[in-house]
Amino acid sequence: MFEKLDPRSPTPLYAQIAERLRTAIVTRELTPAEALPSVRQLAATLRVNPATVVQAYRELEAEGFVEMRQGMGTYVREVSPGQRGAERERQATELVRRMLADAARLGLSVRDVTAAFERELGEQVR
Amino acid sequence: MSEYAVEIDHLTYRVKRAFTLEDLCLRIPAGSIYGFLGPNGSGKTTTIRLVLGLLRPAAGAISVLGHAIPAEAPRALKRIGYVPEAPHLDPTLSVSEAIWFHSRFYPSWDAAWAERLREAFELDPVRPFGRLSKGQKGKLMMLLALAQRPDLLVLDEPTDGLDPVVRRDMLGALLDYVAQHEATVFISSHLIHELERICDWVGVMDGGRLVADVGMERFKTGMKRLRVAHGPHDTAALPFRVLTRSPDNGSGTESWLVRDWAPEMASALAAAGGDLQQVIDLDLEEGFVELLRSFRGPAREPAHV
Repeated sequence: MFEKLDPRSPTPLYAQIAERLRTAIVTRELTPAEALPSVRQLAATLRVNPATVVQAYRELEAEGFVEMRQGMGTYVREVSPGQRGAERERQATELVRRMLADAARLGLSVRDVTAAFERELGEQVR
Repeated sequence: MSEYAVEIDHLTYRVKRAFTLEDLCLRIPAGSIYGFLGPNGSGKTTTIRLVLGLLRPAAGAISVLGHAIPAEAPRALKRIGYVPEAPHLDPTLSVSEAIWFHSRFYPSWDAAWAERLREAFELDPVRPFGRLSKGQKGKLMMLLALAQRPDLLVLDEPTDGLDPVVRRDMLGALLDYVAQHEATVFISSHLIHELERICDWVGVMDGGRLVADVGMERFKTGMKRLRVAHGPHDTAALPFRVLTRSPDNGSGTESWLVRDWAPEMASALAAAGGDLQQVIDLDLEEGFVELLRSFRGPAREPAHV
């Protein structure tokens, strides 16, 4: 789940960890009521600052994906279909933005990208 | 407890006339993992030895965990775990003897945990220190520093020159301890990518001075290289600081190294007539190298980071 954590990326580590967990929760790789690893465990495994893990868990709690129980640990919450839909939409938007930014860097026009997109979709349908 | 685990004020230290720390001020927030960077000979180890009371300053004040150093060093040292750059124990002492010997000095010693770490680190109890590999020596020193349950860990290049598996074991144990105990960690290393993973604060030394002292996130999000055309001559009024600027080859643009950058500042640059063409992210190592270059460069502007 955490294989591509990149400390050199400008995206802070806590945000990368939260993003991985969010995806795992939305795709049900982590199921409701399942316990997340303890802060201590995850920090030692990923070799990151425990404060970074706490920050990631807090962000997920604020977004309603997990529940932190005092002294008990952190648990995955039931995600409503609306929340899952919103999260999927956000991820799809992210994906497209990244793609368009890459395209701009390569000097590709929107038309180039759209044409390639339709070609690839055609391949997949067939 | 104070807001800072270590406070250094206007510290001066001289070795004959050759090397000096000059007017060094440094604060390590309690509970932080503070990465101490700098080229060889920049004064990192000297600063660490002063913090531990092993050297006497010519002027200035040092306070560690609320104790004045060097006057109250013995009381501070009870609460400090120290992993030196080069492990130095009696080579004839076996692993278990070294552990026993160390445990006598620290009332807070956790014998059960020391034994668990010894097993996890796969250290043979009867093997003499002198016959341990470099990695085993490093692990033993980390064990000794952790099992005393310190409030402050001072680590001088603890994993430099060790293989990745050993480094992983040592850092894993360190982070496990920090997660339980909320200790402060003061760690110097040349392994910048390793520090980048674990530190929430970085200090950069150069030539006996602290040239940067900043939260990791601010360092990483605020240090950028900008490609700018028609940049204003005077950049003092811009909301970010320009550390260096140099012309790009033939393209008519300039490369600016800046700090305290945020994306919304592009409009301020545009209002000053500058045309921002690209914002380039820097990781900690690139930021570190660029910072030293800017600080040492001939046309330098003081980098009060």
